[in-house]
Amino acid sequence: MDFPIFHIDFIGNRMLIAVDAILHVIINHALAVGALPIIALLEYIGIRNKDKRWDALAFRLLKIIFIVTTTVGALTGVGIWFSASLINPAAIGSLIRVFFWGWFVEWLVFVSEVSLIMAYFLTWESTRDKPEAKLKHWRLGLFLAAFSWITMAIIVAILGFMMDTGNWQTERTLLAGLFNPMYFPQLGFRTTLAMVMGGMSMICLTYLYTRRELAFRSAVLEVLSKWTGAWLLALAIAAIWYYQVIPGHMLANIPVAVTTQEYVSWNSQLKWLLIFGLAFVGWVAWASFKRPGQVHGAKYALSLVVLVLMLGQFERVREFIRKPFIIGNYMYANGLRVDDYPLLKRDGILQHATYAGIREITADNQVSAGREVFEQTCSRCHTVNGINSIRGQLKNMYGDKRWQADIIAAYVENMHGARYFMPPFPGNKTELQALSVYLASLQKRAAAFNGAQINGIPAPDFISAATHYGNIPDLDTHQGEQH
Amino acid sequence: MAAPIPRDIPLPLPAPEGFLEILLVVAFLVHIVFVHLMIGGSLFSLVCQIRGLKVPDYEKLAYRIMQLVTVNKSMAVVMGVAPLLIINTLYAPQFYASSALIGDMWMAVIPLVTLAFLLAYVHKFWWRHFINIPELHIGIAALETALFLFIPLIFMTNVNLMLFPEAWPQVKGFVSALLLPNVIQRYLHFLSATVLSSSLLLVWWTGRKSFAQEVQFSKVRLLDVRRFFYAFAFGATLLQMLTGLLVFVSLPAQGMGWGFTLLLMLGGASALPAVYWMWQNLTRTDHLLDDNFKRIIASFACALVLMGIARHDYRENALADHQSAIKEKTANYQAAVKVAAEEAQLAAKALEEQPRGAGEIAFEQNCAACHHATLPTVGPSMQEIKELYAGDPSGLIAWTKAPGKKRPDSMAMPSFAHLSDAQLTAISGYILSH
Ligand code: HEC
Ligand code: HEC
Repeated sequence: MDFPIFHIDFIGNRMLIAVDAILHVIINHALAVGALPIIALLEYIGIRNKDKRWDALAFRLLKIIFIVTTTVGALTGVGIWFSASLINPAAIGSLIRVFFWGWFVEWLVFVSEVSLIMAYFLTWESTRDKPEAKLKHWRLGLFLAAFSWITMAIIVAILGFMMDTGNWQTERTLLAGLFNPMYFPQLGFRTTLAMVMGGMSMICLTYLYTRRELAFRSAVLEVLSKWTGAWLLALAIAAIWYYQVIPGHMLANIPVAVTTQEYVSWNSQLKWLLIFGLAFVGWVAWASFKRPGQVHGAKYALSLVVLVLMLGQFERVREFIRKPFIIGNYMYANGLRVDDYPLLKRDGILQHATYAGIREITADNQVSAGREVFEQTCSRCHTVNGINSIRGQLKNMYGDKRWQADIIAAYVENMHGARYFMPPFPGNKTELQALSVYLASLQKRAAAFNGAQINGIPAPDFISAATHYGNIPDLDTHQGEQH
Repeated sequence: MAAPIPRDIPLPLPAPEGFLEILLVVAFLVHIVFVHLMIGGSLFSLVCQIRGLKVPDYEKLAYRIMQLVTVNKSMAVVMGVAPLLIINTLYAPQFYASSALIGDMWMAVIPLVTLAFLLAYVHKFWWRHFINIPELHIGIAALETALFLFIPLIFMTNVNLMLFPEAWPQVKGFVSALLLPNVIQRYLHFLSATVLSSSLLLVWWTGRKSFAQEVQFSKVRLLDVRRFFYAFAFGATLLQMLTGLLVFVSLPAQGMGWGFTLLLMLGGASALPAVYWMWQNLTRTDHLLDDNFKRIIASFACALVLMGIARHDYRENALADHQSAIKEKTANYQAAVKVAAEEAQLAAKALEEQPRGAGEIAFEQNCAACHHATLPTVGPSMQEIKELYAGDPSGLIAWTKAPGKKRPDSMAMPSFAHLSDAQLTAISGYILSH
């Protein structure tokens, strides 16, 4: 409402964030948090056994980790900021204010992590043949592994907060937000999953790198399978814990039965994926531990895929539980605060949206006004023609029957009751009507729907250039100059 | 033209404003130094590699320079996060707006930087694989450098656009924001600083003892290489002053102020001694390249800090009116929100006090989301249900407990077996008598 609306109609805004974030999480879990301890482990075995092959392998693995994490890994991390602040600036802006110091600490840890990985990787070759320096170098690896875990631990706090604001609603402090009830189950689940993913990804790479040294391969795989298997057991426990705590906690907030079904269907997918996935990965790890050289590489690769799917599904459920809020009970996913609703429902959102192009709805401008309303209230989650398109949704509902504005209006008015992942419609009755006329018009023809990055913003009018509100007197004592 | 006045995020700043501003200036300067070194490194590596086609020693040098780029580029990214965070906090209404207005290009920063980094790794880690195809190698280096040179232009466009809310309504996408007066000048000023800082770094770096040991040149004298960089540094300093003037005269007036002008003068002046020392080192035979090196760096560092403060001062000046208008509007809006919330509460209370049956209440809570009085929405309308089940409340209750699947083009209704019989009876009574 207070920011020009960026919109990508083709892949959709949520998809843009999701692709970036999922890629980031996979790289972070599988190649940083989960893999770095293994590099230190392999380096240690190399030192203990005085065996150059372990050292060489560890360095080769680290090179991949270094290349991927310092390019795609780091930049998808920054990309989450970029995309989230383009798509939902109100939400990310609020989160930054609440979590500034959390993020600041996170940033310091991140700086240390990057410095450590550079030091660890770039001094590997120069310390290789000096026993004392080598030991110090190994310690660097341990630090690095610890820091990459701490980075994740802080981020999990922030994610946990977005799901459930805990006491923050009433206390509004950073610590209250950080130690919300979701924190430990999520951290446990993520840590163990990351360790298993890191183990599996290093197993896969080792398999590729040791094609010509089969005896060595068996020795390494045995160690890695033990490591991965142990974390797998921990993952099973953490998963049960997570599953016990979170659904009960969240389900209590879910109002209407049908949406729990939707949720339950995703959550039970996760449950089965967890049960079968863990069983499969466990079986592979066990086989690989018993007969290290004889498990086919494809099984390892498949295990990794299963783990990635598990992580993806977990993120999806986590996202889903959070809806319709983007910050639990404070702000909806459309960027409007719960507190804004009474005002917007009374006056209409177009009266308050700084960058809206139409203020008054008349009989003649219903379609274009409806488009504005759609942009303000639905476009954070729906495209017109792309992914999760509103056209597709309406088509599913009404098919080839004529789409009728008053039927659509009756639906939108109550949709948050039936489809609890959507926020309530924030505008007034005329806007609801205009929105429905616009939506009905989409059956025949949908003009290209572009955001502010293409259309720009309208010239400021009496609402967007003013600082005052109707009959409410100006509160600020000094009258700021108006441009 | 008037500026749009949005509202700010209605949450308090996480720390005193002045403190955040200091943090912003410091964090930004650290970031920008690494950015300069990263881009300049890539540029000089390319230059040396091209020279290396004729004089192979330069190829060795190019490889060494890329090792610096690996470190500097990682630092540039991590050091960039802090200023981004702070600018998001302090200037939310402006920075998010300008980012959105050039959104496509702003988002493209992520894949472009990733690509540039990956190219830099290919360029460096696979150096020896390209021995026989130098054209390809140089092509990769050139692409990497071109990307490195282009990306700052996006940032420059954004931070320039955020300063001038009056210009927002004219902007349609990245190109039109790029063409606002002043962006190109700032960019040129930035480029000369890049060359200046990275060539100075290289002068120092090639002057270390260990460098001479590690890199054995066969023909070229190390001293000539260093003079080569030094000459660049000197030329870039002059260019830096020239482009600085250009930026100054083209800056829009609303951010100007005496304090700002004074800071700029001081900044420019503190670089003058460095120019003098560098000139001496280059031209006088009784001077060595390394003479006064620390002083030269100190003089430039002084200039850098003053310019960083001046830059912030200009931003504060340019946005002062806009910020105070935003503050006022935000406060007024919050008051309006409060009034509306109170009204809504009264209305809700009034509604509650109206006599309503248990059936109606339970219907609203459980069924109204999908069943409208007269129109088919998710499920059939109440009217339709009434006609279907007239005189058959137990049939209605049975359905509600265990719904079937009847209408082919609608979803399945969820079961409401968890409601008590009394509730269900009340609901059915309400529907059938409605
Ligand atoms: C929080 C994000 C969000 C917002 C905001 C949102 N929706 Fe949705 N909407 C969804 C999701 C998610 C779905 C389900 C997609 C699916 O089924 O795959 C959905 C589904 C729908 C459907 C189909 C529902 C059905 O019963 O099949 C309609 C119609 C719809 N939305 C309309 C709207 C309108 C109109 C608005 C704006 C007033 C809006 N939505 C705002 C997320 C949102
Ligand atoms: C999430 C949406 C939803 C909710 C909530 C809902 N219904 Fe339904 N209802 C439907 C749908 C969809 C149908 C049509 C199902 C079909 O034809 O297969 C339906 C059909 C019906 C019918 C008609 C059955 C018939 O024989 O045609 C009755 C009666 C009914 N609902 C009662 C209720 C009652 C009572 C409640 C509240 C306790 C309720 N519904 C809540 C979606 C809902």
